[in-house]
Amino acid sequence: MAIEDDVLVIGGGIAGATAALAAAERDARVRLVTYKQSTLRHASGLIDILGYTPAGDGPLIDPFDALEDLPEGHPYERVGAETVRDALSFFDDVAGDAYAGEHTDANALVPTHGGTVKPTARYPASTAAGLASDPRDALLVGFETLPDFEAPLAAAHLEAAGAPFETRGVTLSFPGIVRDDAKVTRYAHLLDQDETVETAAGTTTAREALAERVRSQLDDEPRVGFPAVLGDERADEVRADLADAIGVDVFEVPMGPPSLPGMRLEDLLYDALEAAGVAVTSGVPVIDYETNGDADRIDRVVVDRHGAEIPHRADQYVLATGGLVGKGVRSERDRVFEPIFDCHVSHAEDRYDWFVDDVFGDQPYARFGLAPDRELRPLDATDDPEFANLRAAGAVLGGYDFAAEKSGAGVSLATGYAAGRRAGEECGD
Amino acid sequence: MSDAEQPTDDHVPGDDEFEPIQVFPQAEDMDLRPGADNCYKCSTCDTNCPVAEVDDEFPGPKFQGPEQWRLKRQDDHDIDDSVMKCSNCMRCDSACPSEVPLSQMHNTARGEYVDEQMSTISREYLRNRMLANYRKLAPLAATFPRTANFVMGLSATKWMGEKLLGITSEREFPDFATETFREWWTKRGGAQVESEEKRIAYFHGCYSNYNTPEVAKALVRVYEHFGYEIMVPEQSCSGTPMFANGMLDDARRAAETNVRELGAAIADGADIVASCSSCSMSLRQEYPELFDFAGTETVAENTWDAVEFLRVHEDLEGALEGTSVEDSNFAYHAPCHSRNQGLDGQTIEIMDRIDGVEAEDVGDSCSGISGTYGWKAEKYETSMKIGEEMFDHMEDADAETGLTECPTCSMQMEHGTGYEITHTLEVLEDALVGARSE
Amino acid sequence: MAHDTEVLVLGGGSTGCGIARDLAMRGLEVTLVERGNLTDGTTGRMHGLLHSGGRYAVSDQASATECIEENEVLREIAGHCVEMTGGLFVQRPEDPDDYFREKLEGCRECNIPARVLSGREAREVEPYLAKDVKRAIEVPDGAVDPFRLCVANAIDAENHGARIETHAEVVDLLRDGDDIYGVKVRHDSGPGKRTHGASGTTEEITADYVVNATGAWAGQIGAMANLDVEVRPSKGVMTIMNVRQVDTVINRCRPKGDADIVVPHETTAILGTTDEEVDDPDDYPEEEWEVDHMIDTLSELVPILQEARTIRSFWGVRPLYEPPGTGTDDPTDITRDFFLLDHDERDGVAGMSSIVGGKFTTYRMMAEQISDHVCDKLGVTASCATAEEPLPGSENISVLEDGMDDFGLRSPIARRSKQRLGSRAADVLDTDAANPVICQCEGVTRAEIQDAISQSGSDLNAVRIRTRASMGNCQGGFCCQNMANELHPEYDEPTVRAALDELFQERWKGERHALWGEQLSQAMLNYALHATTMNRDNDPASAADPIGYEAFDGGRTRTEPRTDGGQ
Repeated sequence: MAIEDDVLVIGGGIAGATAALAAAERDARVRLVTYKQSTLRHASGLIDILGYTPAGDGPLIDPFDALEDLPEGHPYERVGAETVRDALSFFDDVAGDAYAGEHTDANALVPTHGGTVKPTARYPASTAAGLASDPRDALLVGFETLPDFEAPLAAAHLEAAGAPFETRGVTLSFPGIVRDDAKVTRYAHLLDQDETVETAAGTTTAREALAERVRSQLDDEPRVGFPAVLGDERADEVRADLADAIGVDVFEVPMGPPSLPGMRLEDLLYDALEAAGVAVTSGVPVIDYETNGDADRIDRVVVDRHGAEIPHRADQYVLATGGLVGKGVRSERDRVFEPIFDCHVSHAEDRYDWFVDDVFGDQPYARFGLAPDRELRPLDATDDPEFANLRAAGAVLGGYDFAAEKSGAGVSLATGYAAGRRAGEECGD
Repeated sequence: MSDAEQPTDDHVPGDDEFEPIQVFPQAEDMDLRPGADNCYKCSTCDTNCPVAEVDDEFPGPKFQGPEQWRLKRQDDHDIDDSVMKCSNCMRCDSACPSEVPLSQMHNTARGEYVDEQMSTISREYLRNRMLANYRKLAPLAATFPRTANFVMGLSATKWMGEKLLGITSEREFPDFATETFREWWTKRGGAQVESEEKRIAYFHGCYSNYNTPEVAKALVRVYEHFGYEIMVPEQSCSGTPMFANGMLDDARRAAETNVRELGAAIADGADIVASCSSCSMSLRQEYPELFDFAGTETVAENTWDAVEFLRVHEDLEGALEGTSVEDSNFAYHAPCHSRNQGLDGQTIEIMDRIDGVEAEDVGDSCSGISGTYGWKAEKYETSMKIGEEMFDHMEDADAETGLTECPTCSMQMEHGTGYEITHTLEVLEDALVGARSE
Repeated sequence: MAHDTEVLVLGGGSTGCGIARDLAMRGLEVTLVERGNLTDGTTGRMHGLLHSGGRYAVSDQASATECIEENEVLREIAGHCVEMTGGLFVQRPEDPDDYFREKLEGCRECNIPARVLSGREAREVEPYLAKDVKRAIEVPDGAVDPFRLCVANAIDAENHGARIETHAEVVDLLRDGDDIYGVKVRHDSGPGKRTHGASGTTEEITADYVVNATGAWAGQIGAMANLDVEVRPSKGVMTIMNVRQVDTVINRCRPKGDADIVVPHETTAILGTTDEEVDDPDDYPEEEWEVDHMIDTLSELVPILQEARTIRSFWGVRPLYEPPGTGTDDPTDITRDFFLLDHDERDGVAGMSSIVGGKFTTYRMMAEQISDHVCDKLGVTASCATAEEPLPGSENISVLEDGMDDFGLRSPIARRSKQRLGSRAADVLDTDAANPVICQCEGVTRAEIQDAISQSGSDLNAVRIRTRASMGNCQGGFCCQNMANELHPEYDEPTVRAALDELFQERWKGERHALWGEQLSQAMLNYALHATTMNRDNDPASAADPIGYEAFDGGRTRTEPRTDGGQ
């Protein structure tokens, strides 16, 4: 027998989790099936809505102002500006104190580990004290064994970017880290558990040892930024302890993969899924589907569990498997495709038309994905919905360049929310 | 050499049966470099590694897997010794968004390290070999269980274990049952249900045979409740502890027996079910990744977790509606090897169907024991550090009993918290068949 | 009037650097100028094959004999740049038996050690060979890192007093009547080790004698003095696989053809190549069909290539030359031999010779002959020592592996570092400072990056070719930024930013040709990391208009800041 639910969401990133939560809110019995871990762990944990227009104008002060002018086919245009706002408040409710920025429509400018700044709509509490659009001076602290973040260079870069405050960077050794190739989770765990560490001054705890090292470097700056390794499970506690011990505000600079802020966001979403009663099946791929007489409707999907094919049936399906990175969109030398339902992916015939020569130019490949109707049902080559009961959300959608626009999390939220809500409503019909 | 020689074998294309890639002479002959093609360096695997999180001597699965393999040339045989710090929890496998065969790379590298770089007379090798071949010792202990339990419990024995063999004295050796499952099975006269249509072959593994036969008996009663004919074929160790210790030759011998016997059961119309998540993991994933004797794939495709099988083939959830059990508040830990099979959510979903049962998932951390890993004196501390998160969550949980499907996770849960631990099948037995009569 | 230098060598490829080293070792005063980075021309754009001579054993036995001689020399003097992989000429069932026999005989005639393997034996050596390969000839082909070899020559030339000037483009030849006495160069950004930011300056460098070793660009140099150098640049594609599917050089044993070689190169395998004449060595089409042709045709030999990950493709131009009047149509028929054009004898213009044609494996022999010629011209009697003196890094190479500890590095990283650095490994890697891995794909640590920076300044592409950092599967997506970080604080922020942009763009240039499957996913991840996470595509530091920060969300903390700051 098949495992049965009302709504089956395929994919476990922001879009999938949001879709599942939105559907569960409509009292549907929801299951989320996720194969591998999501690209949240690659992402900075910031919730961008829109930082630049598709034409490259920006940074935008108010992302909502620009939503109305987006071209037809852009995911935001598909769901409408109002849904974007609804989805963001939905996220605010889920995130609670873990995220900030809801007090204003204006984007914040957040320092990046590359030393530049980027516009974003919501930021983790751990980043809140570090905004570049906050005029207080800052000390940036890097660690000699974490080569991704060169604090003195980032400080110089922020100055060059015109940040309205003085920034200074120092590089320290991280107390308690023995090997030069320790993983970021090791740094976080050391602080989470406040492990005992040996320093020149004797035996102390990890948080105290770190605070002591930073304190001696401080020169009246009212805030100190670290690479985002300040704890995982107990990040708030770690940050508060460090702030108390150093005596100034403490913030994290978001980092590239693997990203602790991304992991914390993932934990937050999965806690919410558990609380909402969503069943989560992870580690197994959906490999196929079956229709039942009616070719327009998916009857069941097939989950592969090490060779055993387990049917999962639902009334409504949401596809949130990610883009090229999440492998919800795949490619070969002569084609780009969606691997589960083989939904239509529009792309140039010749792969030399998939890119342009400037690495940061207007890259066609960055827009690969499914084109949906206004209900987010993926459309086939003739603009008809592929299936009546399949919606798509997040990076599996095409028609926008999240990297250039800084719209990745926002599109995932808005389309996940819209697709999940609609699926939850329809399964009752 | 410098002179041209005539070919020794004038090869005729088409008649060549030789397939070097497929042959399995030794795991270390496998060239896994192409597996590195899938890696795009996102490091998601590293964030899931419970060992790298507590011990910076371990450089993480990305390094051990795709990076180390990619840097390798055919003639390089220096595997970094840190591979022995991998606990083989296999969490990196289900983490990787890009299907890098991480645990296969680790298993193969570990096998190569043990074969090429570890002295076979070293204490570490002897100890690992002994732990990996627990099954060889178990029958002896099971013959004289009371003596064995007494001796194993002596502080002198533990002291000897630690000093001579590097087995931690911090842990209590598991008790051996006075009657093994197989003895019980023979005594009861084998299967009590016969069925042409509904037939399973039970892979009980070592632990539920020698140490916790009540789990195996629970499986028998639950499956008979649903009308299944149960076969209990001859079997050897699943190989899990051998993979984890790089003893691939031992694992291969055991796997040959299992594939042969289970393959025969499949031919008789049975599906294979296992009550231990590491055993099912091994049959399903590691065998086809590491071995290539006939029938490996067939066994993998027809092997199931015992609860999963009922869930898919029976209306298990329907059957559980309206039932109740004696103990009802559980702190559930999903073993890593269940997680890897996509089964980590299953137990909570099933428990929800039983009236009055509150089962709380204590989080997605690793228990830290990882089979034989936590038994090694030098790994004990790491093992307990990894387990800390689970211990904390268990203590915070509003529960009386711990629940899991892995025997060594169960040891660790008990060791770290003092909880009494039960197996999901035992709860199902209680709900469906009633409290045990004997 | 005294000249700035005795000999001025134009071109920083293998030939130019080889000549500079040879002459400097003979005690001459040498200056070398290179338009870009060392190896920027053809040297850095070859497949890395150290010829046994087997490839020319049928068509060009003179070249074949030279190859096997130089093959043996390079193993001695450049052990840390060479990997003796061995090579196979593999015959498929449809390939002609006659040619196989001719190849074998040719190898014997040229003293190239050769042995026939059955198909089965060949597959035991290389398990990924196609099941139906018929047989193979085993020869001592090898792999060579052209970057390290070329750089080692330049460093040794410097050690012997030479001046090596990169990023100095020749814009004119200085000519006094029928006598060339130097060149005018435009520094890309200031003299000396490259330092960014300074505006381009020009410099006149005078010399007693000029050697035009610019290969495919020799015609352009010649034209500055109205000399006709009939170089016929011919392009070839090379496609880089992410891993080594083979550890032996695999050649297709059939008469000339495209896509007939796979070279295991460092951590990768390189597929080659095509042969097509082009008009301009700086501007020619890089075409999709060429890449597809490599994969599809070489898959006949090594089927796994069809599915394997390609990380980039690049093109090089061969500096082919044929004497006027030969009239060869097909570039594959043009000889691979080299020619020394003495413009005094040939054109009545004194003071300069041009060197054209030739191939990488015999660069040292070419350099020796040209150096002899130069000495002859200048009336110097000094003999060549380049065949005996090891290059820096290759002294006592045979005792290296055992004699060095692992410098606290994981064993595969230590192994790869030692393979790259040779006898310099201890000097470079033995450090008390934190030495994290900067490029994880290739296992390159901070110490090695810093060593390269000390050699080459802020040019990250020069750091790249010395270390291989950013040349692995992520193509710099994860490490370009970290490499740039290593430049600071020695170089200031704008310099670092420009260096990063240049490296990242260069990496993209080749990666574009591999944009499908895994590498397209990788490209998207790299793009997301650099554009989304770091906003490097809209960096306000590089933008024309400043940002009005005050209009953006300043956070709640702005209104209620902590007041005990710093206490």
